[in-house]
Amino acid sequence: MTTVQWLLMLHVTAAFFFVGGSVAAAILNTLAVRAARPSETAYLLRLVRVTLPVIGVGVAGTLIFGIWLWHEQHFSLGAAWIWISLVLWVLANALGGIGGRHQEKARKLAERLAAAGDATTDELRALLRDRKGNAISWLAGVATVGILVLMIWRPGS
Amino acid sequence: MTLLAYSRPFWPLFLHVLGAMTLFGAVLTAVITSLAAWRRPDLAFLRKATFWALVSGIPDYIVLRVFAGIIQSDEGLKHDLPSWLKLGQSIADGGLLVFLAAIGVSYWWLRSGKPLAGRIAAGLSSVYLVLLAVAWLAMSGKWG
Repeated sequence: MTTVQWLLMLHVTAAFFFVGGSVAAAILNTLAVRAARPSETAYLLRLVRVTLPVIGVGVAGTLIFGIWLWHEQHFSLGAAWIWISLVLWVLANALGGIGGRHQEKARKLAERLAAAGDATTDELRALLRDRKGNAISWLAGVATVGILVLMIWRPGS
Repeated sequence: MTLLAYSRPFWPLFLHVLGAMTLFGAVLTAVITSLAAWRRPDLAFLRKATFWALVSGIPDYIVLRVFAGIIQSDEGLKHDLPSWLKLGQSIADGGLLVFLAAIGVSYWWLRSGKPLAGRIAAGLSSVYLVLLAVAWLAMSGKWG
């Protein structure tokens, strides 16, 4: 295998971790929103934490091996699709972080309710279905898919 | 062959890769929830979560497989397939049996609540997750 093939394999593997981990976090979050009791919501939101190392490896790997590939494949320094991908990478991480903090807030409330009789409240329902919080997480997903589009399309290269 | 990989039309390759990545995410969720249930078999909602996570991977698998077929057909790849493509294809087709078995067993677990069914579902989901990883490593690294 050539250096480029190795780097491409590691870059794609990191992308699988990034996107796959994010999908797993989104599925667990959706299940937590639909859970019947606060204890179930809290448990499922705690499981989201398991996906964080997977996403972290993906986030770091896509950047490191992506920049290395940029150098190895002699893409132009002015390649717009790479720069836009980098902006989307920053955006996806920033939005994902904000969305994660929103989930943490919901998890803490769900844990408090679980310890105090395990009955759901309007406050928890409102927090789990908060449009702004969910929109931020969805936008992080859109930015991630945008990176994938640019990586495969490579306009102008 | 690497050149061929870069010159493919956008949509089939994009949808093939997106399907594979979201399938990985769905199976990863099933592995997480089924392994969590291994320690806490009393939590019935983990059975439901595992089953629905695996079911959510069905459309992902269809997208992955259909667009793999379209790429192969567009590029006239019928005979003398490269090793990485043969491996990817074998895992996509052969691995489907493991994926369907995982869904079937997780349904049995959902209905019966037997811890043994949960452990088998966890095992099958983990095996399928590893198979998916081997497929993407072979295809992205152009093994052989």
